[in-house]
Amino acid sequence: MIEGLWEEIPRFFTYYNWVFLLEATGRTLVLTGIGCLVGFAFGFYLAVARLYRGRVFLPLKVIIIFYVEIFRRVPFLVTLMLIFFFCQGVQLDVSVFTVALITVCLIAAAYTAEIVRAGFESVQHTQWEATEVMNFTLVQKLHLVVIPQAWKVILPPAFSFFIAFIKDTALASQIGVVELTYVGKVFNNKGFSAVLAFGTILILYYLISYPLARFGAWMEKKLAVSKH
Amino acid sequence: MNYTIHFNLIWKYVPDLLQGAVLSFQIAILAFLGGMIIGLVGASIKIFGGGVLRGAVHAYVSFFMNTPQLVQIYFFFFALPQAGILLSPYQAVLVGMTLNAGAYLTEIQRAGFLSVHKAELEAAETLGMSLPQTIWYVIFPHICKVLFPPLSNHYIIMTLGTSMAAIFGVEELTGRAFNVNAITFRSIEVFIVTAGIYVGITILASAILVFAGRWLFRVKGKVF
Repeated sequence: MIEGLWEEIPRFFTYYNWVFLLEATGRTLVLTGIGCLVGFAFGFYLAVARLYRGRVFLPLKVIIIFYVEIFRRVPFLVTLMLIFFFCQGVQLDVSVFTVALITVCLIAAAYTAEIVRAGFESVQHTQWEATEVMNFTLVQKLHLVVIPQAWKVILPPAFSFFIAFIKDTALASQIGVVELTYVGKVFNNKGFSAVLAFGTILILYYLISYPLARFGAWMEKKLAVSKH
Repeated sequence: MNYTIHFNLIWKYVPDLLQGAVLSFQIAILAFLGGMIIGLVGASIKIFGGGVLRGAVHAYVSFFMNTPQLVQIYFFFFALPQAGILLSPYQAVLVGMTLNAGAYLTEIQRAGFLSVHKAELEAAETLGMSLPQTIWYVIFPHICKVLFPPLSNHYIIMTLGTSMAAIFGVEELTGRAFNVNAITFRSIEVFIVTAGIYVGITILASAILVFAGRWLFRVKGKVF
């Protein structure tokens, strides 16, 4: 088995295979990056919308809680299939990449809404009351008081969520998005040994994810709120 | 937009889907228990072991935490036969999920073990407790309280992760949803029902875990 592997390696790492691999890596990163950024923005607004008080906003709150709970409790694959067939059902002519992107955005929004909410809750109650006393508007409250304190709590989990999603987007290969995992399947179908095809993909994922995870751990330590 | 929703074609397949949910639960619980054992050994080695063993555990954890679970299972399913080990889809998924869970649970349990302060152990010694007494009255209650929330959280994540098994042809909840979809062609309805069942089983699991945590370890937790 090992001898056969050595023979395959020069045939495997040709110029065009590298181009194919790197393009797919780029697609994985773009899918995750854009998805998580848009998702974060959307999730942030969801968390802010939950801050509104009063009976008028109750339906809005209930909808948001339902949204967040449902998207956090349905597997990525099922959500992906649902969006995929939904786009087909309403005859929306979009590429599979867009379908995957929409899915990532929706799920990322649900998760980041929870992360941001936890960040808002980490700000001491007295601080919120002080903004009330100063008669700040909601934007002023967030901009001047809450976010400067909460971002340290929000950023590390948001970042580790982003890293987790680099790995979760592997499932997008199931609807035909040509990203890293899909390339592994293509190479395997072309006749390269599975050890080589999937081994390369695993190593590439590792090379992307490991430095980011280390950076995330470093950032978490750096931003850790001092308890003194 | 000329899609008409027909749920009535799906209802008779719901028992079938629920049987799939039982298999999902089975995979999740087996992988979780296997992962707990690996995690316990791994965390012990990481804290007490030294040298090569520790390096090996570190490599295992960092490799499995930084690569997608799907590709890991692909590797077990397609690459191991080349080495003469033939795994059925169910076995491949179980092995992949167990090893993946083992890596995450190693990290979680290690953090839990390290949360026991030296002062607590010294206090136990001062009170003249024997080692089993120290473990039973001091270390165990403390670790359980710290570990319970992240462990139950990871169990929920693993329940969602079992949907990956469908890709390999295991007939768990998502796998059965694919089958029902192929029979009825009511794709949107099938996956809405499937999503609903997933929401149901994870809320049920969360609720049971929260009440168990409150009752056994006095952990404060919320279902939502």
